[in-house]
Amino acid sequence: MEAFPNSAMQTADQQASRARKLQALGILSGFTAGAWLGAAEAPTKLVSVGISPVIISLIMVIGVFLARWSLPALILGTSSIHADVRRAPHLIIWAVLAGCLWAVANTLTIFAIRDVGLSIAFPLWNSNSLLGILWGFIFFNELRQAGWRRWAGVLGGALVMCVGAAILAIASSEQGPASHSMRGVWAALGAGILWGTMYIPYRKAYLTGMNPLSFVTFFTFGELGMMGALASSYTGIGPLWHQLAGARDVLFWLMLGGFIWVIGDLFQQYAAKYVGISRGIPLSNSNQLWGLLWGVLVFGELHGRSGSQYAQVIGGSLLMMLGVGAIAFSSASGKEQTKWKQAAQRESERYGIASEYVAARMEGRQASDERKPVRRPLDWLLVAFATEVFVFFGAMARVPRMSLNWGVAAILSVASLVLLVVCGVALWRTTRFQ
Amino acid sequence: MKENHEVANNRGLLMSVLTDIHFWVPVVVLIGGLLLLRSIH
Repeated sequence: MEAFPNSAMQTADQQASRARKLQALGILSGFTAGAWLGAAEAPTKLVSVGISPVIISLIMVIGVFLARWSLPALILGTSSIHADVRRAPHLIIWAVLAGCLWAVANTLTIFAIRDVGLSIAFPLWNSNSLLGILWGFIFFNELRQAGWRRWAGVLGGALVMCVGAAILAIASSEQGPASHSMRGVWAALGAGILWGTMYIPYRKAYLTGMNPLSFVTFFTFGELGMMGALASSYTGIGPLWHQLAGARDVLFWLMLGGFIWVIGDLFQQYAAKYVGISRGIPLSNSNQLWGLLWGVLVFGELHGRSGSQYAQVIGGSLLMMLGVGAIAFSSASGKEQTKWKQAAQRESERYGIASEYVAARMEGRQASDERKPVRRPLDWLLVAFATEVFVFFGAMARVPRMSLNWGVAAILSVASLVLLVVCGVALWRTTRFQ
Repeated sequence: MKENHEVANNRGLLMSVLTDIHFWVPVVVLIGGLLLLRSIH
């Protein structure tokens, strides 16, 4: 099967240059995703214990839902989402399915942390990157004809990251052995399998040309629907409402955590689109490193610990950076990208989507017959509504009395913002967020 | 006429999804995840 032709206007050199640019963009998106997904843990640390983990997860998902509709409306407008759905309506099913997978995985992690602690649970579910590599290889031609060096870079990098993650998790863990260890192990492994498999719909969507901003708006229906169903079935509607009302002064922090998480996830989606899931997932898994930076330097989580624990943290961090570096330097070759295009053509034929559209979107361009996205009053209404909700809960929020290192918090915030601006501008200039 | 065409299109689309092995892998994993959640809760 021959891959569909690229734009006839482009020479082979231009195509190769464009492909290299998109690979670099995907890697940068992966790094930015790691920073923002890690920063999302910060607001949740402001919430003291006493709220059910399922309720915490549900409130975060409500913040996520608001962000997943308002940010795409602000960036491109809902007209663009509507146009994408008309071209590839089957992807709604995939997006909702991915959202359901996310919600179940997230709930399993809560049980895993409770039963075996973060030190064992985190490395187990972090194995999702290895599963992502497997699915990428089997279903989407990723790492085909990539050569042993790239294989070693991606697989070796992911394995080194898993080891680094395990060391970091052990060093930062405060929990002792639990009574239901096997149950916790199964929950963590289950979460890893669900999250690793969730990337099948991601890759499917991006090979077929869907814009990440469109995909996440439908993804969130699965996410909120499944999370709402799980929360109400575990606690019952009445008690659920009581718990939500009782937690009103911390709702804002949890929703803010969800909002920041969405920013990270958006970049993760662009990473999955431009470097594939085999590289995109491990890169965005660097969020653990950022989460640790926030925890240790801002919230003083390791204060008073022994020198050996600090050595573990430094060693684990170095291993994670090594793994990230190995993957970042293993970008897809021309041969591998031809294989990706063959997978995209297969999708285009199966679902009857115009080849020109799929090819253009793979190159981060608009198809020639696409209209320029425009913002409508509905978009501004969505943005205004989401802002109102956040202002409402913000006014109700109680500022917790905690000792924080504000200087380091400012530095980490600025670093994350710099990454956001640099990556956002690069995405805009290169792809117009396509 | 147009409505019939749309129904046929939607049916075709659904069949394309249901006969796609890529669809069943996440579905099976989701069912497994829900069963696991039920058993440990």
